[in-house]
Amino acid sequence: MSLERKEEHDHKGWMEERDLTPVEGAYLTVLIWLDKRLRVVDYLEVLEDLYYKVNLQMPKSHTEQYNLDNKFWYWYPLYALGSFSTIAYVVAAISGALLGFYYAPATTGDPSSAFNTVAFIMTDLNFGYMLRSIHRWSAQVMTAAVFLHMLRVYFTGAYKEPRELNWILGIVLISLTMVFGYSGYLLPWNQLSFWAGQIGVEMSLSIPLIGEWVAQLLFGGFTLTQATLLRMYILHVFFLPFVVTALIAVHIGIVWMQGIAEPH
Amino acid sequence: MSDTDTTDADEPDRAETGGRAMTDGGEPDAETDGGEPVADGTGIVAPDDETPTWRERKERTQGLGRLTYEYFERARREDQDLRTESDYIERDVLAFPTWPHEMIRNLSLTSFFVGLIILLSATLPPEMAAPADPSTTPAIILPDWYLYWSFGLLKLGPLNPELAILGGEKLMADRTYGVLANLVVVGVIAIVPFLNKGSARRPVEQPFWAAVGVFGVIFAATISALSIKNLVPIDSHLLFDLTFLLPFVGGFITYAVLKTMREGYMFSLNRRYYRLRPPK
Ligand code: HEM
Repeated sequence: MSLERKEEHDHKGWMEERDLTPVEGAYLTVLIWLDKRLRVVDYLEVLEDLYYKVNLQMPKSHTEQYNLDNKFWYWYPLYALGSFSTIAYVVAAISGALLGFYYAPATTGDPSSAFNTVAFIMTDLNFGYMLRSIHRWSAQVMTAAVFLHMLRVYFTGAYKEPRELNWILGIVLISLTMVFGYSGYLLPWNQLSFWAGQIGVEMSLSIPLIGEWVAQLLFGGFTLTQATLLRMYILHVFFLPFVVTALIAVHIGIVWMQGIAEPH
Repeated sequence: MSDTDTTDADEPDRAETGGRAMTDGGEPDAETDGGEPVADGTGIVAPDDETPTWRERKERTQGLGRLTYEYFERARREDQDLRTESDYIERDVLAFPTWPHEMIRNLSLTSFFVGLIILLSATLPPEMAAPADPSTTPAIILPDWYLYWSFGLLKLGPLNPELAILGGEKLMADRTYGVLANLVVVGVIAIVPFLNKGSARRPVEQPFWAAVGVFGVIFAATISALSIKNLVPIDSHLLFDLTFLLPFVGGFITYAVLKTMREGYMFSLNRRYYRLRPPK
């Protein structure tokens, strides 16, 4: 085999002899450029193969298979609650990222910088009060939707085999959602935050055997200090976003694989 | 094609259409084996028909790996059987187009829900409490509403058993008891799928489990009310009793109603179901 280019590898000539629109031409140029460097086409082929294997071979849905009349089951609107939780989560993430530009997790000063930055957002920042309001409400709506979603899953028996794992994953998700809410509740560092934090420390301390260790880990000590606020901040804006986003993706991925449980 | 100097006239075309053409290519094996070594790089990846099958992989491995492959083989056979059996029907995707129909529907639903959130935010903005002050304990200490249930479980002190063996001492502090109650509640919810099995889906098919669910929902509400008892205009002892009474009342009513509905409902459901899947 020589290093000379073969006729059939002359992609440029091949492109010229075809009558391509500018869009097609540009697309092919980019594709070929990338493919020469990254072997994109191989991966595309794998994806395509996967797509056909996964999508074109779906079993018939339960209603189709048994020809149960396509009556609209009156519970069906409740099946939107999972998606509604996801939407509220996305809204909270966007508004939260914007709030993050102005917030500082510091207890120094009197009142604390944390409190002052939130007050600044609410009173001085253009659109800031609305932003905080949106963040707050989307969080509340998400929690409510997740709870109702769980009730929907329970009362439609959708947690039964083969969906037990997704149910347990859901329990983890609703717990993390609440931890999300709780850590956010502490961030403004006002009286409500402070005393809710106090209860949190006491609850951790009363866990048998590992109580003190948990309090140290989550609250950075047995009293509320700068360390507490910083830990809550990192939980709220760094740790939980990654974990919860990943778990939601897995949760929905499993639903995608298994399909929605239909009533009999 | 791993071999470029083939004599077959339409071979180059096939090669362009990708790997799938390889398997129906005819007799190229002999050429590859006998001919000069191929140096164009295409031979590096095993062609489709040389990829080891599960059986071959199984033969080369032992121990746990071997078990894995044996299972794979079984699972594949089972899949295949299920597929050939008539009650596992496959179909090509014949559906509602994703674009634009489905997307527009999703977008409108999404904008509706986002609009709802924005409306709430605009009409009911949150308040800001006084700055944190460790030296003054406020009269009302509250988490957000969705944690009331957990907060309420901390107030179960009166239910903490006083053990006679310990001379009337409690086994654990009320606070520990409350924290454990939280764990128990979450744990019980988590194992529901392992307690209630079977294929029933509608509440009416399983009145008992529907009743358990209603019990849970009402309990979540009453225990939340208990957690803010200083804000609820009911005598606190009465509230404590109601906290545990109402869930049972709700559960019993659900059970009675569903049990009554069940007779007629199951009749038509069974008739339809068994007509389609006659019992073996
Ligand atoms: C962050 C929270 C959650 C999100 C974003 C979420 C999202 C979703 C979505 C989009 C679906 C598709 C079906 C539907 O929308 O109803 C779903 C299904 C499901 N979810 Fe969740 N979910 C969450 C929490 C939970 C919780 C708390 C549970 C139960 C403990 C749960 C258990 C399930 C199960 C078992 C299914 C499958 C239901 C079926 O096949 O009909 N999820 N989830």
